Amino acid sequence: MLEAVLFASPGLFVEQTLNGLFFGFILFMIATGLTIIFGVLGVLNLAHGEFYALGAFLVFSIAGGLVGAVGQPTGTASAVLFAGAIALALLVSAAVLLPVSAIIEAVLVRPIYERDDVYQLLLTYALLLMLADGLAFVWGASPRRLQGVFGTVNRLPTTELVGFSYPSYNVLAILVGLGVFGFLIWFFERTKTGRIVRATAINREAATAMGVSTDRVFTLVFAMGGFFAGFAGAIHGAGPISASVGMGVNPLVLSFVVIVVGGLGSIKGAFVGAILIGVASRWAILVYPAAELAAPFIIMIAVLLLRPKGLYGAWGEIE
Amino acid sequence: MSTEDADADGPRRFRLMKGLELTSRQLFYVFVGVLALFLVPEIQGFQSSLRVRTVYLGLCWGIAAVGVNLLLRHAELVSFGHAAFFGGGVYGAALAARYGGIEEAVLLVAAGVLVATTLGVLIGWLVAGYLDIYFALITLAFNQLLFAVVMGSPELLGSDDGLSVRPTSELSRPTVFGLELGPAQYEVLTYYVLIAVVVVTLVVTWRLVNSPFGRALDAIGQDRTRARFIGIPVKRYVWGTFVISAVYGGLAGGLYGLTALRARPEGTLFALRSGELLFMAILGGFQTLLGPIVGGVALTYMLTELRFATEYWEFATGFALLLIVFLLPNGVIGSLPAIVDGLRARARNPAKVSGDVRFLGGLLGSKLRDAAETTKILLFGVK
Amino acid sequence: MLEARNLIKEFGELRATDDVSLRFGVEEGEMVFIVGPNGAGKTTLINLLTGLLEPDEGSVVMHEGTGDGTVERDITDMRPDKRVKEGLVRSFQIVHLFEEMTVRENVRTASLSNHGRISEMRSLDDEHETVERDVDELLEQFRLKDVADEVAETLPHGDRKLLDVAISFALDPDYLLLDEPTSGVGSEEKEYVIETVVEASKEQNVSTVTIEHDMDIVRDYADRMVALVEGRVFREGSPTLLDTDAELRRTLLGVTEDE
Repeated sequence: MLEAVLFASPGLFVEQTLNGLFFGFILFMIATGLTIIFGVLGVLNLAHGEFYALGAFLVFSIAGGLVGAVGQPTGTASAVLFAGAIALALLVSAAVLLPVSAIIEAVLVRPIYERDDVYQLLLTYALLLMLADGLAFVWGASPRRLQGVFGTVNRLPTTELVGFSYPSYNVLAILVGLGVFGFLIWFFERTKTGRIVRATAINREAATAMGVSTDRVFTLVFAMGGFFAGFAGAIHGAGPISASVGMGVNPLVLSFVVIVVGGLGSIKGAFVGAILIGVASRWAILVYPAAELAAPFIIMIAVLLLRPKGLYGAWGEIE
Repeated sequence: MSTEDADADGPRRFRLMKGLELTSRQLFYVFVGVLALFLVPEIQGFQSSLRVRTVYLGLCWGIAAVGVNLLLRHAELVSFGHAAFFGGGVYGAALAARYGGIEEAVLLVAAGVLVATTLGVLIGWLVAGYLDIYFALITLAFNQLLFAVVMGSPELLGSDDGLSVRPTSELSRPTVFGLELGPAQYEVLTYYVLIAVVVVTLVVTWRLVNSPFGRALDAIGQDRTRARFIGIPVKRYVWGTFVISAVYGGLAGGLYGLTALRARPEGTLFALRSGELLFMAILGGFQTLLGPIVGGVALTYMLTELRFATEYWEFATGFALLLIVFLLPNGVIGSLPAIVDGLRARARNPAKVSGDVRFLGGLLGSKLRDAAETTKILLFGVK
Repeated sequence: MLEARNLIKEFGELRATDDVSLRFGVEEGEMVFIVGPNGAGKTTLINLLTGLLEPDEGSVVMHEGTGDGTVERDITDMRPDKRVKEGLVRSFQIVHLFEEMTVRENVRTASLSNHGRISEMRSLDDEHETVERDVDELLEQFRLKDVADEVAETLPHGDRKLLDVAISFALDPDYLLLDEPTSGVGSEEKEYVIETVVEASKEQNVSTVTIEHDMDIVRDYADRMVALVEGRVFREGSPTLLDTDAELRRTLLGVTEDE
């Protein structure tokens, strides 16, 4: 049936595939945070979707301010300035997540590591509720749409160069996503801190015996997770969507799907899983619109039944 | 009910049935508790925040939470998919009303139980072999799949709008035991019936949990391998428990449908509702029998009534849960003995209260210090 | 009689069990001890016999009846819990107990299973007289009466080992496979644990297969001894071989002729 669409309407097929990739990369950045938090701390962070939402709301305010100050690009110089402003807004929005999630981890999550896992779930659920209302408190209950970025960036010709029209913003976002993936692989495989984190994930006691402060590692990982979720939110929010209260729930649930498909604790898995889920759900729309919602879970069930460890099953190991 | 002095020096115990003995004080509490529930419709007139409807819905969720707790407390399995059975119960009732033309409340609930049980048999068979996080995730997956199916079936299942549980005839609500009732009577009668169901459910659960099968479940939860090696067919028993807990869910959902009179996916089937069932059990005290019921009423109350007290009721609920995690480590019911003892000690010796204030102050202080420390590390680097 | 027939088990490159054929319980009540260096595949053998692992090749066979009426049953594909019902019971090297239950409850659960009552939902777990009687007898026999109401988690190591064995006997075994029942136990208690096992086995005609590192115990109690080295049967026979067979001594004990 998919082939039918491909032949009947190739443009639509390509567009949906690209949409799938774009969504997949956003999902990757969210899910990778969830998977490293789970892989290292053993905590399933139910509040993770709210970190994503926070990023989206923050970029609304910050980018709104910066872009307003810098003004729309008229020539090359102002275009560079504009681009700089956006980049700065995105990074700052995500950076806010660092202290926020770090403090949450140190103050609230750390004391309950010793306790039954169920209390971690209850705690992160409580955080989900509190953060959700926190967002409503600061930004109000109605959706917030960032003006002046998405449209402007799309004026840049990218896909037009190869013959069709697709938002350039999304294309750039996909490239950024690839960059994030590359960064994470580099971080965990080449840097000392990254290897320390992996060691802690694989064997907490051994790491402590080697002098690693697991407290610091946990806080760092939690903060990183929050950062990337917020970054995803910022990119998504400065792009095609509005920031709205409740926007975090769906990505949270889909992130669960992604980390199952990819393998709990695996970054490469999160990458492949997110792209797979992103693209599959968009293709599903083409075949049967109602299937969009079901497709990820059918895949999730299939993986759990056939290959429970996921595609890159790495229990407690970050790869 | 017979009275027997179980031990000469201990307090007088009343034997309600084989093995279930309560002291006169415990019996008194039970009596007061059930009486209080029965009186809610009367009190409602005076205290607007205590509504029969909220308590009713809370008890329904509570019953489902008791079902979830069979898996959680005994087999030590976290199911993130039990909204499938609660929702199954509500939708079962709706389907029976809409497509079966059924008008009688008892039959509607039965239909709900039937649907939920069928789902439980099918899903349970597939998930029974999974452990830990994988069990949680695969139950979540099936739950969300069901949600997706409902959302994607506008004609058959009503999609977003849901399905009505109201009779297809001119009756505006189902008959109860064959009687056509006005709105107030309907509410009160269904409520009383629910209380009876709750009591029976708790008694049945108590029996189940203290039966050999209950022991087998404990064994499975405490050491699955050993359970296998004393001859327990683990997967089959997990499946059985799953099905039983689905029955609870379906019963709860069906009864819920009688009051809500509409089956909506978001409110009854979405995965987060499964989470809430777990949280009800945990906050009420999942190591106790009554905990899930109390948790059900408490969380439902917070999620429905707090709305009227403050715009930021989600924050308030979250904060309340946070306090419970930190201050009541065994849940509300679980911590009850400690709370009662604590209150008594403070009543005897008021000076202790200042100690409490200091403790809380110290706690807050150390939290703030942690926060400051973390911020410092962030700004000036990690070692 | 319980038979391992040409069992082979590989873990990747490693052949943990290399064409092992053995017979246990040739006579009822036979006590066989399995010895061997670490990593020789002793626990793997028990795992294969009890169904925790599936062999890559070979089979596990139970012989029932005596003389001409002997029937062979291939139980290689039988689930562990079913094997328990067939009389094939084991203990674990690292003690597996129901940590949050009391000693009595631990034994009771096993006994309920043995009496086929474990699936009952309508009775209370402690109301069956036959079961309670068996439980009391076992607690008496394994001298756990004093700690009967203690939670398993809180028990000292020796008592945990005894409880482990008590649970095994509660299942009315025909074959009892014990994985290092005296490990971690002080020397005084070692005697005690083994004595209790021997007594109970003799009483109920249980054939035992015990993995043991303490050679004195092997010498004193074994009817037959099997030495496993690198997954293969190295020696089989009387425990006196431990003293007479030089090559065996060298392999097991690292002892040379001169020492």
